Amino acid sequence: MADKVPEWGSASQPRQPDTLSAQPQRNAAVSPALAKALIGLGALATIASTFLAWTWTTSFPGDLSVTGYPGGNQVITLVVGVLLLVALGTAYGLPGLRWLAPRGHVRLLRGLALAGAVSTWYILLAVAIELNGIANWVTGSWVALTATALPVAGAFLLADDRHEAARPPAALPRWAQTVIILAAIISAMFIADYGITTSFTEEFIGFALAVGLAAWGLNSSGVLARLTELNARNRVATSAAAFAAALLFVFLQTSDQYNTIADDILIFATVALGLNIVVGLAGLLDLGYVAFLGVGAYSAALVSGAASSRFAHTALPFWAQILIGVGVSIIAGVIIGAPTLRLRGDYLAIVTLGFGEIFRIVVNNLNGVSGPSLTNGPEGVYGVPDLSLFGYDFGKPHVLFGVTFGKFGNYYLLLLVAMAIVVFIYARVNESRLGRAWVAIREDETAAEAMGIHGYRFKLLAFALGASLAGFAGTINAHLLNTVTPDQYMFSASSPPNSAFLLAAVVLGGMGTISGPLLGASLLYLVPAKFEFFQNKQLLLFGLALILMMRFRPEGLVPNKRRQLEFHEEEVAEAEAHAVAEADASEAEAVA
Amino acid sequence: MTTTVFLQLVTNGIAQGAMYGLIAVGYTMVYGIIQLINFAHGEFFMFGGFGALAVYLWIPPVQHLPLLAALPIMLVGGMIASVVIAVLAERFAYRPLRNAPRLAPLITAIGVSILLQQLVFLWYPQPGGGKVQVGVNAPVQFPTFAGKPFHLGGVLIQRANLLTVIVAFLCMAYLAYFVAKTRTGRAMQATAQDPDTARLMGINTDKVIVVAFVLGAAFAAVASITYGLRFGQVSYDMGFSAGLKAFTAAVLGGIGNIYGAMVGGLVLGIAEQVTTGVLANYHATQQWGTAWQDVWAFLLLIIVLLVRPQGLLGERVADRA
Amino acid sequence: MTSTMTTEPGPAGAVGTSVLEARGVTMRFGGLTAVDGVDLTVGDREIVGLIGPNGAGKTTFFNCLTGLYVPTSGDVRYKGTVLPSKPYRVTQAGIARTFQNIRLFANMTVLENVMVGRHCRTKEGLFSAIGRGPRYRAAERDSRENARELLDFLGIGRHAGSLARNLPYGDQRKLEIARAMASDPGLILLDEPTAGMNPQETRATQDVVFKIRERGLAVVVIEHDMRFIFGLCDRVAVLVQGRKLVEGTPQVVRADERVIAAYLGTPYEDGAAGAREDEGTAS
Repeated sequence: MADKVPEWGSASQPRQPDTLSAQPQRNAAVSPALAKALIGLGALATIASTFLAWTWTTSFPGDLSVTGYPGGNQVITLVVGVLLLVALGTAYGLPGLRWLAPRGHVRLLRGLALAGAVSTWYILLAVAIELNGIANWVTGSWVALTATALPVAGAFLLADDRHEAARPPAALPRWAQTVIILAAIISAMFIADYGITTSFTEEFIGFALAVGLAAWGLNSSGVLARLTELNARNRVATSAAAFAAALLFVFLQTSDQYNTIADDILIFATVALGLNIVVGLAGLLDLGYVAFLGVGAYSAALVSGAASSRFAHTALPFWAQILIGVGVSIIAGVIIGAPTLRLRGDYLAIVTLGFGEIFRIVVNNLNGVSGPSLTNGPEGVYGVPDLSLFGYDFGKPHVLFGVTFGKFGNYYLLLLVAMAIVVFIYARVNESRLGRAWVAIREDETAAEAMGIHGYRFKLLAFALGASLAGFAGTINAHLLNTVTPDQYMFSASSPPNSAFLLAAVVLGGMGTISGPLLGASLLYLVPAKFEFFQNKQLLLFGLALILMMRFRPEGLVPNKRRQLEFHEEEVAEAEAHAVAEADASEAEAVA
Repeated sequence: MTTTVFLQLVTNGIAQGAMYGLIAVGYTMVYGIIQLINFAHGEFFMFGGFGALAVYLWIPPVQHLPLLAALPIMLVGGMIASVVIAVLAERFAYRPLRNAPRLAPLITAIGVSILLQQLVFLWYPQPGGGKVQVGVNAPVQFPTFAGKPFHLGGVLIQRANLLTVIVAFLCMAYLAYFVAKTRTGRAMQATAQDPDTARLMGINTDKVIVVAFVLGAAFAAVASITYGLRFGQVSYDMGFSAGLKAFTAAVLGGIGNIYGAMVGGLVLGIAEQVTTGVLANYHATQQWGTAWQDVWAFLLLIIVLLVRPQGLLGERVADRA
Repeated sequence: MTSTMTTEPGPAGAVGTSVLEARGVTMRFGGLTAVDGVDLTVGDREIVGLIGPNGAGKTTFFNCLTGLYVPTSGDVRYKGTVLPSKPYRVTQAGIARTFQNIRLFANMTVLENVMVGRHCRTKEGLFSAIGRGPRYRAAERDSRENARELLDFLGIGRHAGSLARNLPYGDQRKLEIARAMASDPGLILLDEPTAGMNPQETRATQDVVFKIRERGLAVVVIEHDMRFIFGLCDRVAVLVQGRKLVEGTPQVVRADERVIAAYLGTPYEDGAAGAREDEGTAS
């Protein structure tokens, strides 16, 4: 991890020319030409193998028994094979493909070759094990097995050519940048779509293995860094493309089946992003965050006109519910934060943890028996009506542009808007006087106060803003689930969102970033949802994941490249001035 | 409400509070030295109970001893379980993060806490399988004293409660001796005051930190056994709320102050019992009683933070802000 | 110090003549008196040095001036008004400071660090950050331009885009000064600005301080380096064991027997370099 940071720095901030063109060490044992040929042959054979049957029976899920076109996990192998051919183009220096590997193509080849091989072998192994024996393999299986092995051998025979990325080429025209961004994001969406719609565990594991290894290859070849840079330069285009891709997802769904998963991920990710303001920007560890979601959900449910509500006859319009949900959440946030934020930072963690627990106890007991009647106790408020905005009933199917939207498709659209709002607020606040003040407090509160920042006031503001965003998400959640119960909002439970999962999503993804918590939330939702094996061990694994992340990669999967995202426009000019000045300085030193 | 009832509540509160105090000592020592809220301390506590229970169940002769004779053996088992876990956690989870930004060890502590809870949960007998038939989330039975409670005036004193108070007193006496009279104890005080200078003076601060974890875990194991004896059960998630309460006690007494931890525990225990007891005693406030006990404890924490954030006996933490 | 001068209250009389007036500042920690009845007056565009052996209470005195500590007794006036006791209000009032052990915002860029220094001269809050109206943009542009100007002023403009923690040590000290100056102070307090610097860098820092004065600021410097202090300051105050021992021009202080005895132990010419190294390792 320690060596990651300077690497990043050098990618965006060019050093002396001599470090840029570090020559790769050539290993003369095997001729590179042979290795490349091996990869090419293997890739072609891999592609071919996916058109063969991998087993004779249809009893393995995903039907791998068809000769003539790929099915089930063969699609993954096919895609990886094609990518491998493209990547091979960079190794041969084909014009127009060099941008795929700014930091060396060998790691890219290795990553993709491993992605193809590991994922394919896993599936073949699963066939053999689940159907009891290698007898279930047919010719195609053996072809696939060998074909995917070849590129691995080839890629590892090539000497590692990893080097510092060269200075990015002259900026492409704006439209070309936009096209690349759009293409990248749409592909990412298709990958996510595939992951969400996988229908059995083996398929998801094969998919996850392929994606993980390919991502490793793409990352170490430097192409992801380039894309990130491009995104940072065109933030409006990126946001629009991401929004468009997310919209595309719901139009691709033929039924409501997977929209429920997508809805849950959206809620989870939105709340995680809200938590990221509190934890990632202001550095306040809020361990009861989900309680604010609960406060918002209960507040909205109570005035939604639900039959089981204490105020069953009060059916306020949605905007009023949002106002109430957000308002009550803010009040709760201020009540918790005001006494605590004056004190040592760590006290906040324990007080919020306590608050999360107290919230659950309180709503459990406001049942008219062991407390005043308000929340209907453990049963919660049920029968929360579906939303109806501008005559659009979210509970009923609608046909838009020829696509049928069921209940969860409808809510998907609403949640997408909600998430866009939160992303927008986050992005704007992050880069403002306010965001700078928060980060300054996080970095060194004493110094921040010496710079004129009223630490307490700004911490309270961060805390209250976080609470309000959670409250906002909660109001929608109440309608989406139609019920609000106490055990939906606990510190740790076996399904998200709960406070432990939210924290894990932020930490896993990368504190202080936008895409980090989104990625973290998707992973944390999908992995347990797709692995039945995980069902009762997921909390255990998350505990372990938190420990390991803090130990080995505390910046998360998506590290915060604050420098890159900020001031990107002046950056190039600045970097140049910097290089000149440094050259001057070294000359002066040499003279002295 | 009669005086007897009130005294009964206070008596129960003292026993409950002594247990909180024993757990709180671990929080406060670790916080005093490395300024870490060790969220996993509640789980060290829980491990102690299960360790003792394991000795009781797995070494059959122990079950045939009178409980009072079996207890020392169980205590050894409990202490080993919780101390081993604490040392492992310190060595592999916390120590590598000694110089990391302050959020990192806190998040790790959460991770350790979840991990330990779930590790125990894994061994829970599942419905339909295993020897002991219990529901998935049901607590596990712990041996209890068979004899009748003692009478003192009109006040009933449960045997387990009496034992808790005696044990807590012995523990605190030992701790006072340890801190004031032994080399390691003085090194611990020095490290809490100023770790850098302590290191310069030749104190092995790593060792001091381990000792703090070990002592804290051992005390937590004692507390855990008293918990088992008093309630007749232990459960994998008992560390969560007990830990929360114990930390409250540590803040109440003044974080970093070991005597404060016990005082805070006693005050919290008594306040909790008396509040719920008094509320439950009157018809008008009856419903605000037992079910709301944790809420009152939490409110007490908030009030203390507002009114006297340095705690009753004053905090003892090196100011490194 | 004649008491008749300092007891004259009223903001009108003080403006233009004295920027800072500290009277009888005393700071006790339990039984320990770290600062004992120290008076200090800083005039307009004056550079005042504060010297003294380690543990003499220099930094504690600074902390009393900047609201980090509330003095046990005594009062501090800035341009005639009594200073508030919260650090952020002191900065708002017009006193900025640097820290002895550099305290930058390590994971923010150099430019952002300086923009944070601008915090108390701007007002934009949550809603304008989200709405980004014209006024917000203008304020943000102003902050940025101001920050750039200051970075160029201190000669570290080329680092604007890099993270503060990646800066060379000397530039980190300069960045601290730039950040402090971003709050448009009338008085800047520098706590050992040349600690850990080589002689060339120290000379350069001297020029920087003169340039800061040219911008109309008064400066108070804590320093161990005698050559630096005597070459720089208009007036020097010597603190020993929390009390002010001598105050006067560099010539007066340099010649004063008591200073030599208390602070250096040996005559200045022989002891200065050695004394400085000793202090350096101890602090």
